[in-house]
Amino acid sequence: MTDFLQFSVIGLLTGGLYSLIGVTIVIVFKASKVVSIAHGQLLAFGALFFWIFMVGLGYPLWLSFLLTLILASLMGFFIERFTMRPLIGQPLFSSFLMTFALFIFLDGAFQLYLAGQTRAYPHFLPQGQWDFGGVIVPKGQVVNFLISFFLFLILALSFKHTRVGLKMRATAEDHRLAQSAGVSVRNIFTYVWIISAILASISGIAMATVTDIHYPLPYFGIKGLIVALFGGMESIGGALLAGLILGLLENISAGYLDPILGGGIKDVAAYVMLLLILLIKPYGLFGLARIERL
Amino acid sequence: MIPLFLGASIAHKEGSEDDLISTNLVALSLFQIVGEGRMLSLSNIEVVYSDVILVLKGVTLEVPDGKIVALLGANGAGKTTTLKAISCLLKTELGKITEGSIVFDGQRIDQKNPEEIVKYGIVQVMEGRPSFENLTVEENLIVGASSRKNTTGIKRDLEMVYNYFPVLRGMRQRVSGYLSGGERQMLVMSRGLMARPKLMLLDEPSLGLSPILVEDIFKIIKRLNKKEGTFFLLVEQNAMMALSISDHAYVIENGRIVMDGPAAELIENEDIKEFYLGLSKIGKRKSYRDVKHYKRRKRWVG
Ligand SMILES: Nc1ncnc2c1ncn2[C@@H]1O[C@H](COP(=O)(O)OP(=O)(O)O)[C@@H](O)[C@H]1O
Ligand SMILES: [Mg+2]
Repeated sequence: MTDFLQFSVIGLLTGGLYSLIGVTIVIVFKASKVVSIAHGQLLAFGALFFWIFMVGLGYPLWLSFLLTLILASLMGFFIERFTMRPLIGQPLFSSFLMTFALFIFLDGAFQLYLAGQTRAYPHFLPQGQWDFGGVIVPKGQVVNFLISFFLFLILALSFKHTRVGLKMRATAEDHRLAQSAGVSVRNIFTYVWIISAILASISGIAMATVTDIHYPLPYFGIKGLIVALFGGMESIGGALLAGLILGLLENISAGYLDPILGGGIKDVAAYVMLLLILLIKPYGLFGLARIERL
Repeated sequence: MIPLFLGASIAHKEGSEDDLISTNLVALSLFQIVGEGRMLSLSNIEVVYSDVILVLKGVTLEVPDGKIVALLGANGAGKTTTLKAISCLLKTELGKITEGSIVFDGQRIDQKNPEEIVKYGIVQVMEGRPSFENLTVEENLIVGASSRKNTTGIKRDLEMVYNYFPVLRGMRQRVSGYLSGGERQMLVMSRGLMARPKLMLLDEPSLGLSPILVEDIFKIIKRLNKKEGTFFLLVEQNAMMALSISDHAYVIENGRIVMDGPAAELIENEDIKEFYLGLSKIGKRKSYRDVKHYKRRKRWVG
């Protein structure tokens, strides 16, 4: 029982981050109907920028964080402006392929910089852990979870209550109609990529506090994609739920099966989940069976 | 005027009908130079879909300041395409203006983006009354004000819109996907009004609505025209209703304007009655093209 609780707690805490990665993909898809597989790279670069500022250059925490967010939003901006925007009006598949090209390119750049070595991440989060009758709860991961929950809240509230959020929802429903109502859909795409890149970089920093910067860091993007798919691609709440489920599933199955099978269950669990989604519920938990676009 | 007429007939020696059209064009541009306030004018617009399908074959029409102009025609004649050419929504479906120009308020507005057209003061209310279905009625209306920079007037305009369409006031928090056809028609027109347009392009507002509702909606159009000074280009298949509130009307067939005149005259016109109002004496549907040639000629001239 203690085991089960332990696996579940860690699963939930990790799942919170998966949810955040998932939602970065969801908001881009929701607005522009482009499935991005390059978000893991945005995440990894966010983590890397922060490391360079804080460890490499010795800047204070707040400045490193601020500069990382600025660089991340520039990345989001340039990706939209120079790789996505020229493809508006082309079949969606070409935009998808473009994110694949970005994946290859950014991954190459990232791995080249890393040169196979691990960069230890600075310990700026509270260290140590709580012990609830044998169930260990690491403080740093709780902070990560709260941050990602907080970001979800802000995102949901601004979609609901701000004018630009309203325009984004209108764009998500129908590009042509939004344009006819005077919404600059192109600008909305830009905003969405910027917001998405910022959130991805934050999730990257949070993830790296747990895993350090290590060559597989970008591949958390795949987990984000699984979360987005499972949540239905268009649903922010769906992504939240799907991330938590993936975290739980992965940790519980790994906790019980790894000692028997000798490890590696975590990633298998994610792919099994992906397979099940694609077979049983191709539109995800909260998905809509409609795809249209400018 | 004489040199202009001469110029026109020199330029187009062949085809007497062409002659008359271009004469009309010259007269039109003369009108613009004189500058009678705001006006929308299309000159010789040609529209092609997917690079091959020629749909509009030289449409020339104008909507003068403060007027309601009807554009009548059968299914597939090119009415919606004409509106989309004006609102630049053509671009979103592989349509292109290959010839001619559209001028509004003294400025060329073809080759713009749809959202820029809204900024210029032209709003298209699309056929089929599409709403943002997952948004509430009021959210739909606020999206309609997207083109506006300052947000101060939005509250007041919501109030204005609810006064014109009182039904919507009680439904402001309702998700718009569940509205009935009539309510939805009111919603999409209100959403258009939230952009504070000078000109509204209405595409078949009466389609599929009960006669009483249609009458209500047309009354509101007339009131908006009188009180807010909004002018309208009204596309309709319900020709009688449209003519009853319009100042001027055009008849489009097969991508060409085949007739135009003051609405009061068209309403009395035998051919219009026969073909578009379904009051045929012979009881057989005819194309307007079959109607005696000299009649059409006379109208172009006179
Ligand atoms: N996106 C499109 N691609 C190709 N052809 C089109 C497109 N939209 C309309 N058309 C064609 O153009 C013609 C005019 O259509 P439309 O302007 O919608 O007519 P109306 O509104 O008068 O019924 C029709 O023959 C229609 O099939
Ligand atoms: Mg039509």
